Amino acid sequence: MPISFEHVSYIYSKGTPYEYTALKDVCLDIEEGKITAIIGQTGSGKSTLVQHLNALLLPEEGTVHILDRAITASEKPKQLKSLRGDVGLVFQFPEYQLFEETVLKDVAFGPKNFGASEEEAKKRAIHALELVGLSDKYCERSPLELSGGQKRRVAIAGILAMDPKVLVLDEPTAGLDPKGTEAMMTLFHDLNRKHGKTVLIVTHDMEQVFRYCDNVVVMEDGKVRTHTNVESFFRDPAACRDMNILPPALIRMKEMLKENGFDIPEDVLSTAALADCIARQVKNHG
Amino acid sequence: MANITLGRYIPLDSPIHRMDPRAKILAMLLVLIAIFFPAGWLGYAIIFVAASAVIIIARLSFSFIWRAMKPMLFMLVFLFVINSFLLKTGDPLLTIGSFTLYSDAVFQTLYIAVRLLLMVMITTCLTATTKPLDMTLGIEDLLKPFQKIHVPAHEIAMLISIALRFIPDLIDETERIIKAQESRGVDLKEGKIMERIMAILSLIVPLFVSAFQRAEDLANAMEARGYSPGEERTRYKVLKMEGRDYVLLAGAAALLACMVWLAYFR
Ligand SMILES: Nc1ncnc2c1ncn2[C@@H]1O[C@H](COP(=O)(O)OP(=O)(O)O)[C@@H](O)[C@H]1O
Ligand SMILES: [Mg+2]
Repeated sequence: MPISFEHVSYIYSKGTPYEYTALKDVCLDIEEGKITAIIGQTGSGKSTLVQHLNALLLPEEGTVHILDRAITASEKPKQLKSLRGDVGLVFQFPEYQLFEETVLKDVAFGPKNFGASEEEAKKRAIHALELVGLSDKYCERSPLELSGGQKRRVAIAGILAMDPKVLVLDEPTAGLDPKGTEAMMTLFHDLNRKHGKTVLIVTHDMEQVFRYCDNVVVMEDGKVRTHTNVESFFRDPAACRDMNILPPALIRMKEMLKENGFDIPEDVLSTAALADCIARQVKNHG
Repeated sequence: MANITLGRYIPLDSPIHRMDPRAKILAMLLVLIAIFFPAGWLGYAIIFVAASAVIIIARLSFSFIWRAMKPMLFMLVFLFVINSFLLKTGDPLLTIGSFTLYSDAVFQTLYIAVRLLLMVMITTCLTATTKPLDMTLGIEDLLKPFQKIHVPAHEIAMLISIALRFIPDLIDETERIIKAQESRGVDLKEGKIMERIMAILSLIVPLFVSAFQRAEDLANAMEARGYSPGEERTRYKVLKMEGRDYVLLAGAAALLACMVWLAYFR
């Protein structure tokens, strides 16, 4: 069950003076069961790309393969609904989609649309709310009176409650505080490692890419510039800078240490390991 | 949604685009009035030629006009059906069973279709070539003389410009919310009545919430910068009528005069 893009192009406002080609001949294979980060500058087509995954946008040219389904330019897709249940897409700033009277009802809205019974939907909603760290004292509150960060969590719970096989998140942590960000990323990591879900995350935060993701796709001007695993991606900080990407702090630290004569092996990839490595060399030196 | 063409500004560079918005608004009003005189087919032909000339000079395409016209086709078909049942004057054209189509039904509908087409052409000439903000400046200036009878010219212009400013945003927002809810399994095209109602609620509630939020943010931002409606203020952009603006006005006035003559004095 691969997830792949074959020569996919997408054009906004086709046939008007506002016509804009947002994806240009994109070919991409997303590894299943992994966490893939999608990075790139604003306007590079990241959001456009991920909206193809649950057929919110249909390719102008080419084919998207996802979970045994092929979405092509010309054909009207079948089984749209079951696809959307299998691929959970969390939009950028999803807090604007809340509308029910209570948090619980809002989170249960998705599962109910996909045919879960009232009972079942509620059970799943409570579980999803637990996952995002909202205890049941929030269940009966109105989603509109929560703080921004809490709304975001409710919105994400709304997708998790659908129990999708593939989870796609468009800048899920933009505007969250550091603690909330950390909790969110840990949650996505757990969903991948413990529940085997394929996760795609659009993000601007290289620290997150470095710490939580397996693979990384760099979008540039509607095309895929690079697609590789995170480790080898950051092995070449100069190439990152070439793409206007500032490597994470640890990589920059290693870079500086190397410039100053330290010998840092490539497989040192955590702060603790780096500290050990430095300590050893300083001791031997002294 | 992005395909709505009626009333949309098209950023091109043409003599029409550079004209003073006041001249364009006045000229449009004159020609719109002209359309309502019963000047017959000759009159409409003249207006059509004039409007086509402006469209060509403005570098707009006729397919754009056609797309703006499309939403009205349904209405025209509806009108034709009603006319063909109600209007029983003129020559019988066609008989199917006990139903007879008379020529007046056809001509009446055509007449309205042509007027509608002309109106769409003329308003498009204005809206497609005038930035919304220039349009409000123009409206404000044109309303100035009415301030004497307590028409709040500036407030009306500000209302219009804010409304215009938010239309594209609200369209974007609607699209975004539709997509977000579709991702949660909302099906806007089919479903039982209850599901349909929920689907529509799931769009309307967030749309209202965000519209109110935007309105509040904007009001706060304006107040923070010291905006108060009654105050005298200068403008960054000062409108100035030039030779070509007077030519346009003269042309529109001549067109109106011509229609009056065709309708009553020939
Ligand atoms: N609804 C739309 N209509 C027209 N153009 C759009 C629309 N959405 C996005 N675009 C354009 O497509 C390009 C890619 O947008 P997007 O995929 O949102 O980029 P990213 O998520 O990487 O910031 C941008 O230049 C943007 O202006
Ligand atoms: Mg985006």
